[in-house]
Amino acid sequence: MLIEFTLNHRPVAVEAPPDITLLTLLRDYLNLTGAKEGCSVGECGACAVIMDGRLVNSCLLLAPQVAGSEIITIEGIRGPDGGPNDLQENFIAYGAVQCGICIPGMIMAGEALLMHNPRPTRDEIRAALAGNLCRCTGYQQIVDAIEATAVQRELLP
Amino acid sequence: MPRFDYVRAGSVAEAVHLLAEPGVRSRLLAGGTDLLVYIRHEPPNFDRVVDIGRVPELKRIERRGDEVIIGAAVTFTEAAESALLQEVAPCLVEACLTVGGPAIRNTGTLGGNVANAAACADSLPPLTCLDAVAHLRSLVGERALPLDELIRGANRTAIRPDELLTHFTFLAPPADARQAFIKLGRRNAQAISRLSVAAIGRRDGQGRVDYVRLSPGAAMPVPRRLHEVEAMLLGQAPSDELLAAAGRRSAEAMIAVTGRRWSTEYKEVAIRALVEQALRRVLV
Amino acid sequence: MTTLTYIGKPARRVDALEKVLGTAKYIADRKLPGMLHARCLRSDVPHARILRLDATPALAVPGVRAVITSDDFFEHGLYGFPVKDKYMLAHQKVRYVGEAIAAVAADTPEAALAGVRAIICELEPLPGVFDMAHALDPDAPQVGPDRPDGKHPNFLDHLIVRKGDPLPVWEQCPVKLEEHYSVSPQEHAYIEPEGVLAVPTREGGVVVYAPNQSPFINQANLAMVLDLPPQRVRVIQPPVGGSFGGKDDIIYESSAQAAKLALITGRPVRMLFSREESLIASYKRDPMRMHIWLGADSDGTLRACKFEGLMDSGAYASESPFTAWRASIHAMGAYRYDACHVDITCVYTNNGYYGAFRGFGNTEVCAAIEQAIDEMAYKLGMDPIDFRLKNCLRLGDETVHGQVLTESVSLAECLTTVRRLSDWDRKRAEYAKQHAPSGVRRGIGVAALYHGTSLGAEGQDYAGATIAIEQDNSVDITSGLTDYGTGSRTVFTLIAAEELGVRPERIHMQRPDTDTAIESGPTVASRSTMLGGNAMRIAAMNLRQTLDYAAADLLGCELHQLVRAGEAYVGPSEEPVPWEEVVRHAREMGLALSAQGRWSAPRINWDHHAGRGTPYIAYHFGAQVAEVEVDMGTGRVRVVGLWAAHDPGKVIFPQGAYGQLYGGIAQGLGYALMEQVTFVEGYIQETNFESYLIPTSVDVPEIVGTFVEAPYSHGPYGAKNIAEPAMVPTAPAILNAIYHATGRRIRDLPANLERVLLGKDLSKGGSPRACKLGLGTA
Repeated sequence: MLIEFTLNHRPVAVEAPPDITLLTLLRDYLNLTGAKEGCSVGECGACAVIMDGRLVNSCLLLAPQVAGSEIITIEGIRGPDGGPNDLQENFIAYGAVQCGICIPGMIMAGEALLMHNPRPTRDEIRAALAGNLCRCTGYQQIVDAIEATAVQRELLP
Repeated sequence: MPRFDYVRAGSVAEAVHLLAEPGVRSRLLAGGTDLLVYIRHEPPNFDRVVDIGRVPELKRIERRGDEVIIGAAVTFTEAAESALLQEVAPCLVEACLTVGGPAIRNTGTLGGNVANAAACADSLPPLTCLDAVAHLRSLVGERALPLDELIRGANRTAIRPDELLTHFTFLAPPADARQAFIKLGRRNAQAISRLSVAAIGRRDGQGRVDYVRLSPGAAMPVPRRLHEVEAMLLGQAPSDELLAAAGRRSAEAMIAVTGRRWSTEYKEVAIRALVEQALRRVLV
Repeated sequence: MTTLTYIGKPARRVDALEKVLGTAKYIADRKLPGMLHARCLRSDVPHARILRLDATPALAVPGVRAVITSDDFFEHGLYGFPVKDKYMLAHQKVRYVGEAIAAVAADTPEAALAGVRAIICELEPLPGVFDMAHALDPDAPQVGPDRPDGKHPNFLDHLIVRKGDPLPVWEQCPVKLEEHYSVSPQEHAYIEPEGVLAVPTREGGVVVYAPNQSPFINQANLAMVLDLPPQRVRVIQPPVGGSFGGKDDIIYESSAQAAKLALITGRPVRMLFSREESLIASYKRDPMRMHIWLGADSDGTLRACKFEGLMDSGAYASESPFTAWRASIHAMGAYRYDACHVDITCVYTNNGYYGAFRGFGNTEVCAAIEQAIDEMAYKLGMDPIDFRLKNCLRLGDETVHGQVLTESVSLAECLTTVRRLSDWDRKRAEYAKQHAPSGVRRGIGVAALYHGTSLGAEGQDYAGATIAIEQDNSVDITSGLTDYGTGSRTVFTLIAAEELGVRPERIHMQRPDTDTAIESGPTVASRSTMLGGNAMRIAAMNLRQTLDYAAADLLGCELHQLVRAGEAYVGPSEEPVPWEEVVRHAREMGLALSAQGRWSAPRINWDHHAGRGTPYIAYHFGAQVAEVEVDMGTGRVRVVGLWAAHDPGKVIFPQGAYGQLYGGIAQGLGYALMEQVTFVEGYIQETNFESYLIPTSVDVPEIVGTFVEAPYSHGPYGAKNIAEPAMVPTAPAILNAIYHATGRRIRDLPANLERVLLGKDLSKGGSPRACKLGLGTA
């Protein structure tokens, strides 16, 4: 079936079977491999994307469910010059990246949080990341990066 | 060959027509967080999914007089962010906030949670305390069932294959009653409830309990209020001894239903603590 | 010490950009035209003879291009180190649920699964060993091979440490302890499941992309089982989504399977594991049962330690002889004793199989000994930190092994630092006053560790590196040691930058590639910084000498008259000359602008028969304090504070070192409280992340970490290591805190709800169901 939606601010129309997940649609049909398959049952968050302004696990959505929606993936998170945006830059600057496999999902979770709560406490940041598993970092520097980004965005004119 | 087809329903009427279509086995899809895990391991026993996640009538959260209506396709996040539910059903809001993690809450729905009827479902204890009624619609008509009639056992409900769970209704508890939901899991997020308790309670001017509702989760195959415990609290002052007795009575009530299972040795102790904690929060 | 420019200063991880952009290509992100998909037939019984294996029906399945069995490998694909007991595909027998029996390559993953299902595989189930305590019973079913020395076939190894004879000393001690402890298996739970991609070459060889820790071992195995000269086998490591010790053996097997299928079909072949397949088939940390005796004088001086451990290796040896050796060296803890015996016996069972995981035996024994030490402190009425300070190893001490510690010993400082950071004394006093039998109680506990650096006497310890200046004046470096998230790429870059005197941004670290890197042994044992760092430093020094020579020539001065100003060279004229000009001049002089470096660790010796010697060249020391809140009514434990003071020697890449510390602590927290692997009759019950629980962001507290840098003279700039030690003391610190809060001693890990509340675990039995579903998942 033809699935039409907005992807990273651009309209797309993809011919795909109805029984595949959004994750498979992104990775295999659209060649967007930023979202990762870590568990396939919605427990690890490595597949997380933003749908209509909310964080979702793309492994738990059927591709046709997103018809008519706005999807943002890690490939859509960029600065004005096409490089890293402020959150991505802070992930580097604060040491939040080790093996990196959880990072696209973490950045989506961070962006989704800041869309709804621009002044989160560290506890609120942790709660927003609770569905994204990381095995390398112990989360601390990821929280640092998101916190710093929130503060910096608040200071922008 | 796709394993199944997909169709999106634009209205309740359309959905019930699709469900009733002969020769096609339809499966309702609200959020999909349970369904997609299920089909990972089992070949689907349906020919198509009927996506009701965007049907406007199923997304209502509104109040008509004392009656509160929650559409079945309301997500956990939508329920938790609802000012109305924060006001009249904070125990339900608290429960919604303990489900999974943010992404699961943004997708999973109350209707899906109830229809899946896992014994550990977190929406069940608060909805039970609220005496929520589930409303079902089919081509034949409508019917309404209280939760302890809707749910038959673990993962079993009375919903017929041609029926759509459309919404829940309940009467708003007294505004001055306090509400609580406590969840016990093996970690602090993304955890299946090992045990949970929802409670609503109020004391009168003399400090005696004049309103109390209590329902445990992940404790019994069919959710129900612990009327026997509520009865021993009504009209009493909530002393430490009384709350402890309420805890013990709750454990007895649980075992009377389940018998002694492998987990009972743990749950009979833990449920006492959870009941005491929940009652303390709403009555003391 | 000269001032350092890059070492120990804030630095950016060199491979972080592609990861935050989502453009890093992990194995599952890579595909090639004409690529086939591979899948294994895996055993669904724990122990069986293969009566009949007929793969030809699979070839009749539409889309299937090739099927292989053990017959397709040289010597049936027998491999393994230190014990060659495993096959790339099962040969004649299967010994654990999930063992690979055959592999299929097909046009689609669905066709591959259909091909797997079409294979005729008749298994004759054999009785199995499912309890390590009975593995050596005379009538135990035979799991391991017949042994030439006549020992029980299920016996794998026995490791000892000997100093004096502890039991008579223990008998005389006025304060003593004898207790049993146990640890559960632990799953690595890297967020990236396993996968490999094999590409056949025109020369009849193969290129394998594999997220293995040690590409050269993979290459050697592949050459052996594929019967190819090593020159025709190339292994490249893409970015790895976590490993922690877990992506060696299982990846070598998948690599061999995919490579053989690629050679047969002439097409690229990719094999990806589902999470269920990963949990069922891949190796885990070994479970252990431990029996400890400790004896002390009334003044708190430790006198005697006896440690008996039983380690389950599961169906195959994997790294267990090495794990058991490291465990034996560390089993008594970082303390002085008059007499000490350690005996660790390693056995085969049919419960999965066990291999390397961060800490590699020390994590297991530290969970026990640091609780036993704590129990002794209470028996003596001494503060647990004071008791450790009284007995801990210090500079100049001789260990029970017979090694005199001549430098870089800082355990006492780690203990006093973490005491201060955690506000230990005030909290110990305050929380001891809690009397309420119910409700929430707080507790604070400590644990210490030492951890031998690198391979120790168990292996040949060397590494090689290369460095070269490219045409565009960027600098290319390679290492034989790999970075699977640990940060060693950045460490090597910083060392090269420091030694060469150029900005790190100028340096580009190549992907690990057996064609271009120098074989350096395995990337394990937290040895990358020391071994790989020293090799890189030497390579960079060699290249710098060449440039210094060219600079002196250019500036018309003596070598000793050169100084550096940033990247520039300055001679007596005091005119800075840009680095690029020196490089250009060196080219004009015809000098080779590349160099190699190699470093070997000082030779040490361990006598396996005597149980004495010098086990490691240096030791990492550390101490952690955990604060917990325990709900006495439910058994729920929240870790509300964690303080860590570690001595990794000189810290090269601070952010990376802190990251390893925090991450290790999170894994230790999971080990302590929630990570449980349950085998029932050989079937694992936890097959995905809804049942195998690792800590989330709301389970891990804010961690306060600090480094006590006691330089080791043979480490690069004084560096030792951090990766593994970071997780070792966390679990016992938490368990000791639980005791302080509750008075309940939990000697069996994990300290789950039931153990904390009831003092024992509850079993719901189990079944093969999760495994059968998981192995059949599309």
